[in-house]
Amino acid sequence: MNTFEDIATWLHSSPGRVRVTGSGSRAHTLPPMADATPLQLSQFNRIERFDAGDQTCTVESGVTRVELDVALAEHNLELPCLGGGTIGGLFAADPFGPAAAGCPGPRNLLLGLDALLADGSAFKSGARVVKSVAGFDVHKLFVGSHGRLFVATKLHLRLKPRPRTEQWFANDTLECDQALKLVHALRHEAEPPTVLQLRRERNGSFTVGGRVTGRSVHVTSLCKRHELVECGQPKSFHVDVTASPGEEVLTGDALPSALPSLIKALPENTPFTWLGGGRFEAAMPNPQATDAALQQLPQANASGTILTGADTRRGVGTPTDPGEQRLAVGLKNALDPNGILV
Amino acid sequence: MTAHAKSSNLERNLTKLLGQERVLCTSDALLAWECDGFTMHKSKPRAVVLPESTAEVQAVVKLLHAAKVPFVPRGAGTCLSGGPTAGADAVIIDCARMRNVLQISTEDLFAVVQPGVVNLNLTTEVTPHGLHYAPDPSSQSVCTIGGNLAENSGGPHCFKYGMTTDHMLAATVVLPDGELAHLGSATGPRAPHGIDILGLFCGSEGTFGIATEITVRLCRNQQEVRTMLASFDSMSAACRSVGEIISAGLIPAALEILDQATIRAVEASIYRAGYPENAAAVLLVELDGPHEVVVEDAAEIAKIFAAHDALKVEEATDPEERKRLWKGRKGAFGAMGRIDTDLYVLDGVVPRTKLEEALEKITEIGKRHGVNLTNVFHAGDGNLHPNISFDGRDKDATARTIAAGHEILQLCMDLGGSITGEHGIGSEKLDHVSMMFEPEDLDVMARVRAVFNPDDLCNPGKVLPQRNACAEVSKWPQMVAKVLDVDDTQQPPESTS
Repeated sequence: MNTFEDIATWLHSSPGRVRVTGSGSRAHTLPPMADATPLQLSQFNRIERFDAGDQTCTVESGVTRVELDVALAEHNLELPCLGGGTIGGLFAADPFGPAAAGCPGPRNLLLGLDALLADGSAFKSGARVVKSVAGFDVHKLFVGSHGRLFVATKLHLRLKPRPRTEQWFANDTLECDQALKLVHALRHEAEPPTVLQLRRERNGSFTVGGRVTGRSVHVTSLCKRHELVECGQPKSFHVDVTASPGEEVLTGDALPSALPSLIKALPENTPFTWLGGGRFEAAMPNPQATDAALQQLPQANASGTILTGADTRRGVGTPTDPGEQRLAVGLKNALDPNGILV
Repeated sequence: MTAHAKSSNLERNLTKLLGQERVLCTSDALLAWECDGFTMHKSKPRAVVLPESTAEVQAVVKLLHAAKVPFVPRGAGTCLSGGPTAGADAVIIDCARMRNVLQISTEDLFAVVQPGVVNLNLTTEVTPHGLHYAPDPSSQSVCTIGGNLAENSGGPHCFKYGMTTDHMLAATVVLPDGELAHLGSATGPRAPHGIDILGLFCGSEGTFGIATEITVRLCRNQQEVRTMLASFDSMSAACRSVGEIISAGLIPAALEILDQATIRAVEASIYRAGYPENAAAVLLVELDGPHEVVVEDAAEIAKIFAAHDALKVEEATDPEERKRLWKGRKGAFGAMGRIDTDLYVLDGVVPRTKLEEALEKITEIGKRHGVNLTNVFHAGDGNLHPNISFDGRDKDATARTIAAGHEILQLCMDLGGSITGEHGIGSEKLDHVSMMFEPEDLDVMARVRAVFNPDDLCNPGKVLPQRNACAEVSKWPQMVAKVLDVDDTQQPPESTS
C-alpha cells in the first residue's frame, strides 16, 4: 500500500483483524495475534510540514525517530521525549512517559493527528499550532493505545529548542540509600535534570543518571553541586534483560516517595529502572516473583503490569479502576465496534 | 402527572438531598447563573444546586439522570464561551462550595483538591512549601480548578509551563449516569497499560461528567523571577521581538503583548500600571530560573529589544515592582469596561510566525466592520485575544461585533491556526466549529461523547453543533447565523454509535 487512501480502501474492504506496526521494535510487548494481518506503516516516512519558527511539525507515522532527530537538529530543535522506533510507534506505545517530573512526555507533545477508523473512514483531531482547545482531544487517546483504537496516519508535534548546553551524567556503584538521596536532591532542584533515571544493576549496585540542560552556567553549577559524573548519552533507558526462560519485564508507575517500598517489593538484585516521571521497569526472574510483586505493588503505592513474558502473561497487572475500565471498553467499542484493530 | 407536579417533585427531591438553602429555584436567585463571562448569551436555568462532596454530586446526578433532566456543571462562571450557561430546562450543579484542599504532597509534588478551589488560592496554600500551581488564567483569583479542568484553561505562563492538561494527574469523576470513575493517578494521568482518558476528559467543557476530586502537579518556585516590559512604536516591532526570542531558543515563563488601545484603557482605569501611553505596543516578558540564568537571558532579550528599537525597557525583580508591571496585563479586560457597556473577548490562535500578519488583518477587519477593537494576547503561544467593546443594547453594533468576530476566527483558520486557544467552544463557537472540523471529525467526537454521556444530559448543546439542543441553548447560534446570513439548518450527522 503506497498511500493512505490505499489503506482506507483496504480497511473498508473488511480485511479481518488488523495489527498496526511501525518498525516492530515493540511488537514483543503486545499479545500475539496470529490471525491478524499486519498493517505496516513504516513506508509512510515523510516529514510533511516543518515550521521551525512555530516549533511544530507534521510527520507521517512511519518517520523514524532517528530521521526526525536529524531533521530537527539542523534547526536546533528537538522532540523532548525518550524513545525510538517510528514516531507513530513511539506515541502509540509511550514506553517511558515523561523522562523527569514536569518534563513533557508524548501526551504533552502531540498537538493533533490525522487518522483512519477501522472501517477506513478518515478523521482529524486537534490542531497544528501549539495551543488549541477546539473540540474533544480524541488525539490524546492515541498515546498508549498501541494502535488499537484507530490508525494514526499523520501526527502534529510540538517541538522545543535544543538546549544551549547539555550534560549527561551517571553516578554509579551507589548504595540504595545514597542513590535515593541523590534522586531526591536532584528532583527538588528548581530546574531539575530533564532526564532523571535510577537504575539497579544485576550486581545490586545503584546508578543515578540523566541529562542536565540549559545555559552552561546552570549545567556546570548543578553538576558541581551534586558531584555528577559526566558520561555519554545512554543507549537505552529500558531495564537490562537476559531473555532467560521465565524472565518477565514488569512495568508500572511509582511516586518518588514509594521508591523505598517498591525496591523492597522486588527480589534482591532484580535489575530495575525508574524514570523521574514515575515509570519503572523490573526484569523479574520468574513468574512467581512477578506475581508476588504485583500483590505488593498497591501497598507500595505503585501500579504495574507485565510487559514481556509468556503470551498469556502479557498485560496481567494490578487492578484498574472499574469506572476507568468501563470507559476504556466503551471507547474501544465506539471507535472500533467490530474489534478490527488488535 | 402534570409538568408542574413533575417539576415540584424534582425540586422537592433535590431539597431532600441538600437542604433548602442549597437548592435555588426562584427567578431572582437564579439571576447570577444566567450567563458566564460570555454575556452575549443569557439563559436562566431551571434550578441551581450547591453540593459539597462527591457523594452529594453523585446523588444529585443520579436523581437528575433518573428524571432525564439535563444538568450543567459550573465552577466560578468565568468561562468566556458560554460553556456553563444552562437552558431553562436544566439544573446547574455549582461546585463553588467544594473548596477544600484535601492533600498536599511536598515530596511527590502534587495536591488533591475539590473542584471549587480557586486557582490562586491553591498557589497561596502551597506557597509556604516553596511551590505553586502553574496554570494561571487571567481570572485566576476567582476561577476554580474544576472549571480549569473542564476548559483546559491556559494563561500567560502556559508558554513555558503548559496548559491545564499538562498539570492534571488524576480526577475522580461523577459520570452523567451518576457512576464514579477514577481517571489517572498521582503518578500520572496514564498508566503504562492504559489509554489517556484523563487527557480526553480535560477540556471536554463539562460534557463528560463532573470532576469532584482533582490531583494536580505542583511546581517548585524558581530562585529568581524577573519581569521585563518593553514598549515599541509599532506592533510589528513587538511581534518581531517575540519571534526572535523564540527562535533564539529562549523559553521565558511568559510573553504577553498589549496594543495601544489596551494600554490607554488600562492607564485610564484603576489598573493603571505606568505603561507608556504613546507606545503602539508593550511586550511583557517574564523570566524565571536560577539567578545566573535569568541574568544571562535578560541580557540577551535586552539586546533583541534594542535591535527592534524599543522605546523603553523596564526590568523588575522586586515582587512589588513586578506586580505593578503585571497589573496592567491582569487588569486589561476589566479596564475595557471603560470603553463600552459590553465586551466580546475573542480567542483564536495562529502560528507564532504569523502574528504580525494576523494583527494587521485583524485591524483591517475591525475597521471594515466599524467596531472598537483592542488586542491583548499571549504572544508566545500565538494565542490572540482581539476584544470588541460594544453596546449590547444596540442591535446593529451587536451584529457588526458578531460578524467581525466570525471573520477574525476565519482568518486564524486561514493562517493555519485554531478557533480557540483556551476559552473553548461552549455555546459561543458552535457556528465556528465547522471552520476547523469536517462532519466526519465531529462524528468521531460525538461517538466519544456518547461513551461518557449517552443521553446527552450533561451540559447538552455545547461543543458540538446538534439538532436537538434546547431552545435557550440554541438561541445564540441562531442569532449568529442570522447575522452571518448562513444556513443554520445544516448540521453534522448524529453519532452513529
